[in-house]
Amino acid sequence: MAWRIGVDIGGTFTDVALVDDTSGKIGVAKAPTTPKDFAQGVLSALAQAMDRYFIKSADVGLLSHATTVVTNAILEEKGARAAVIMTRGFRDVLELRRSARPDLYDLFQDAPANLIPRRRRFEITERIGFDGAVITPLAEEEIDELIESLRADRVEAVAVSLLFSFVNPKHERALGKRLSSALDVPVYLSSEVLPEIREFERTSTTAICAYVGPILASYLERLERATKGLGLPRMYVMGSNGGVFEASEGVAMPAMAVESGPAAGVVAAALAARQAERPNLLTFDMGGTTAKASLIRNGLYETTPEYEVAGGASANRWMNGAGHPIRVPVIDLAEVSAGGGSIAWVDPAGGIRVGPKSAGAEPGPVCYGRGGTEPTVTDCNLILGNLDADSLLGGEMHINFDAASAAISEKLAMPLGLTVEAAAAAVIDVVNHSMAEALKIVSVERGHDPRDFTLAAFGGAGPLHAAALAEELGMVEVICPPIPGAFSALGLVGSDLKRDYVRTVYVRSDLADPDSIEQAYKEMEAEGAAMLDRAGMPLDRRRFERSLDARYIRQSYELNVPSPSRRFDPGALAQVSEAFHNRHKQTYGHDNRSEPVQIVSLRLAAIGEIPPLAVRQTPLASGNPLKGQRLMRGVEGLVLDRQKMPAGYLVNGPAVIESLESTICVPIGWQAEMDGDGFVKLMRLETGQ
Amino acid sequence: MNTPIQDPATFEIVKNSLYKIAEEMRVVLAKTAYSPILKSAGDYSCGVFDCAGDMVAQGPDLPIHLGSMPDAVRAVVKAFDQDVHEGDVFIHNDPYFGGSHLPDVNVIRPAFHKGVHLGFACLRAHWPDIGSATPGSYGAVTEIYGEGLRLPPVRLYSKGELNKALEDVILANVRTPDERKGDLGSQLAATLRACDRLAALAERYGARRLTAYMAEVMDYSDRLMRAALSDLPDGEGYFEDFCDGDGIADGPDGEDAPFWVRMKVTKAGDSIIVDFDGTDPQVPGPMNAALSVSSSGVFCGLKTAIDPNSLIPPNSGCWRAIQVKAPKGSVVNCEFPAPVVYSNHEMSHRTADMVMGALSQFMPDQVMACSQGTSAVLTLGGVDPRTGNRYVSYETIKGGFGARPNKDGINVIASGISNTMNTPVEVLEMAFPVRVEHYEIQPDSGGAGRYRGGNGARRRWRMLDDASATGALCMERMTSPPFGLMGGHPGISATVTVTSPGEQPRHLPSKGAFNVSPGAVIDMITPGSGGYGLASERDHAAIGKDLLDGYVTPSAVRSFYGVNDPEELLNVAKEEDQ
Repeated sequence: MAWRIGVDIGGTFTDVALVDDTSGKIGVAKAPTTPKDFAQGVLSALAQAMDRYFIKSADVGLLSHATTVVTNAILEEKGARAAVIMTRGFRDVLELRRSARPDLYDLFQDAPANLIPRRRRFEITERIGFDGAVITPLAEEEIDELIESLRADRVEAVAVSLLFSFVNPKHERALGKRLSSALDVPVYLSSEVLPEIREFERTSTTAICAYVGPILASYLERLERATKGLGLPRMYVMGSNGGVFEASEGVAMPAMAVESGPAAGVVAAALAARQAERPNLLTFDMGGTTAKASLIRNGLYETTPEYEVAGGASANRWMNGAGHPIRVPVIDLAEVSAGGGSIAWVDPAGGIRVGPKSAGAEPGPVCYGRGGTEPTVTDCNLILGNLDADSLLGGEMHINFDAASAAISEKLAMPLGLTVEAAAAAVIDVVNHSMAEALKIVSVERGHDPRDFTLAAFGGAGPLHAAALAEELGMVEVICPPIPGAFSALGLVGSDLKRDYVRTVYVRSDLADPDSIEQAYKEMEAEGAAMLDRAGMPLDRRRFERSLDARYIRQSYELNVPSPSRRFDPGALAQVSEAFHNRHKQTYGHDNRSEPVQIVSLRLAAIGEIPPLAVRQTPLASGNPLKGQRLMRGVEGLVLDRQKMPAGYLVNGPAVIESLESTICVPIGWQAEMDGDGFVKLMRLETGQ
Repeated sequence: MNTPIQDPATFEIVKNSLYKIAEEMRVVLAKTAYSPILKSAGDYSCGVFDCAGDMVAQGPDLPIHLGSMPDAVRAVVKAFDQDVHEGDVFIHNDPYFGGSHLPDVNVIRPAFHKGVHLGFACLRAHWPDIGSATPGSYGAVTEIYGEGLRLPPVRLYSKGELNKALEDVILANVRTPDERKGDLGSQLAATLRACDRLAALAERYGARRLTAYMAEVMDYSDRLMRAALSDLPDGEGYFEDFCDGDGIADGPDGEDAPFWVRMKVTKAGDSIIVDFDGTDPQVPGPMNAALSVSSSGVFCGLKTAIDPNSLIPPNSGCWRAIQVKAPKGSVVNCEFPAPVVYSNHEMSHRTADMVMGALSQFMPDQVMACSQGTSAVLTLGGVDPRTGNRYVSYETIKGGFGARPNKDGINVIASGISNTMNTPVEVLEMAFPVRVEHYEIQPDSGGAGRYRGGNGARRRWRMLDDASATGALCMERMTSPPFGLMGGHPGISATVTVTSPGEQPRHLPSKGAFNVSPGAVIDMITPGSGGYGLASERDHAAIGKDLLDGYVTPSAVRSFYGVNDPEELLNVAKEEDQ
């Protein structure tokens, strides 16, 4: 294979990053995102990229993409018309939740939305006991009527979650079989999605799959048809855990595609962290509609095993009841509705507000001249001189300065009694403050001091706002990696193929049968190998990581410990028990060697390694990047061309560094330097205090 | 040295770090504890305290402990004064020394950095059993001596050395000592983690600067509370309500007699006074509250009303603007040796709800109708035939969350002073010899109103065929329904029955112990919450949706909302759904 292509479908633009495996050369392309049919935007961005770099379909070895369809469907409550089937007497598990409220003292709080309303929660007579014994047999005779109700209600997907199905899935499977053969809609069984104890969390994860499954399936189908039409290879999807998976895997487990897009950016930033030797990074990714923040420590991003979708940006990692729990690993990040396309407005009390509404790609900011009439953050940056009519989108688009100015005047400046420039500056201050809050959530709120970190800024609008944010947080260094607009897409082609498998066993380590454990691992390895076969992953790049979740028998939460990769024998059992005691001591400060250790779940990660990727766009050896001068917030500053900046070139603010996809703003008091890999580093010249 | 105010960025970081420490204690406890009430239901509170015992940061746990935990830490400060060393751990549970009730065991550990005392970490955890005659320690007794093991503030570890004799005494007095040892271990681990984190903050910012920030965090909350109070109208409100009883059948007809709680709230400028003058004297059974417990409920209600969007960090600073007065020897300010086990949650629920009723008379846009008003505690204990081991199960079942001035209440969610979680059915059945046969929303239980009260739940437990148990119940709002506000209807009150095989259901009184035979079932319906505003003003589309989802039934719609043809509203809702 020669080229790897990553496609990141953002709220505004669909970005493509290309890497030539042989030369390490990086390329980019972009097209407006087409929300009615994402495939269109993907195809036009791909066509543009292949055209620009003279790539034939046969030269593409890896095609991978990130999608926002799953998260958007949940956030906007626009998922499928889904039903859930529960054990009789337990219709309301999804609404009863864990019964704690997210905020102790909030008078006006709401319970999370009922994604599956009570009218579509059904019951079936059956019961499995704690030990897997059948207490009440499955009432086969009720199934026809159930099918009729589901049909009459025109449901688009069904989740089945019966009590103790993680111990004995017999009833779920029998019911699932009848439903699947009678109904032409996807059926998700909790014993397949998440065979783990705790009925609410298992049901919630399964319900999320049913809620978003049909949307994800039809989207991936359309996309695959289109890319296959171009003769491109099978398309991978970025998972919430930072690995990529096959489309068919995603349709079987849609919850894995939550936060797919933001995860890609964090993976790319982790690659950059290693390469730039900045192991502690705060990442700031600002596009057209949202801004995302995450934290990288010692070169690694953090994932959280208990994630709540739509739980709000300040969601703690501890389950707090604000959103919909899914029990799949998700990269830890915070997101706010603030992007270049965010619309600025004046509220009834005379306050300036930015977002959450966005002009998106269509119609886009007023200055794009495509019918937008509401002033956006991009319009304000244009008025202030942070952006220039000739530099926006590399000058490929006609920019209407006067229209932007008129819109700001009418909608903001006149109601507030300000000049157009002052109104634009106020909008930028407001949006910067809200993005700083997102950065604080992943740093300050987690007990990390941002001053110990370097800010990594990317996304089309990230580098434009980065220095101001750093200033607000007391940070003294910002790095702007190459190809900021398509930087997230780089993460897509730099991450391994990865799928996690789990089997719940519930056995005391001193009573466990090593052979049956070995058997379970072998089964999972066979599943993983089949997945890697389908992906065409060569044998020498395959890796299987065995681990298991264990706890003291009377505890409720497990710790994950590695399991030896050799055949699982009595020696291996002793080894994992010892590893568990040590891990418990290390994590919580004490252990209890007289207490039996219970093995709860066996886990297998099947990994197909993708060769490492360098994030590099080697700058010119020499050259003169100076393009001219213009007023920036009223002060004359330099305008530079990033493509012509040689390594080691220094410039002091005020200045802007322009490139095709993004503009770096260097404020007064900051200095910018180009390094040998194409990273622009910003440093604060005097450090306050 | 920078003062906090001169360096707002560092203040913000340290403040959040302190709250993060309290949150991390919670994670360590939940992930290492042994009993379901702790590991699954979350009945505990974590806090970071200064050297005087004032609470600097409350974890996102239980409001009930907000007012009384500082008293528990102060009791240690008072008992040991300067005799506090690195490696010490104190333990106590005595309500007459700032505890709440005997099952709530406080583990308190001082934090040091290079010999400088920084403050304390306190973890209060509800043990499923602390001795007494009844498994779960929820019996209807008439003196605190009958409620279980009393621990005044005592030293469990001295400079890192365990006082083995004390541990032996504790474990000899509780029903499931192995499990208690595991729970105690997790309390020790969580407080150790907190002290390590405090020391790390001191290492980074300096011990003196850290303690200055700790004081500033409380001043900050005080300033915010006073600013919020100043923006609200001045006024005076009065509210009275009765409790079901105290578990002692000493009424004129041999029933459990009700008693009254009375409250006057006076708000002027940036401060507020809550006076319980006129409240009934203390009662024989365990419904008596220490003043710190009654105050916890008051603080919780006031915090919610004064800071309805929950922007002010909860800590001791929040209460400086609030004064609580209560007659000595009354049921809200009891004297030794009155028994207290029920009152800890039942009386603080009551005072939190009543604050809303009193405030509604002069700030009706800041309040909610009465919520479930009970923690609905059911304990079961005996021998598990599957293992031959003793067990004690402790569960709290949720009801409705009160209707608000602009929206409905919430169905089956923790309210007021409580925020424990339910125990998952699968976890419960793995641990105890019971089977849950249903757990669902109870239609029509929320009070009607312009905004409907939240519905309660119904839950049924069946003892396994070869298992029996001693049960105990503690559940207010069986005869005193949760009140509505501004014309809203009250919620439906609670009922509990027990049915032995082949027998008729028997209604249980609101408090006390009972026997459960093999194969018997216990049926519980928890209270719905009160409605807000006149039912006749409710939006018909909202009624239609409630009908479609079965939150209300057609007959209730006819009788409470004056709608003659519910079917029509239902049909409109059905069409909307297509």
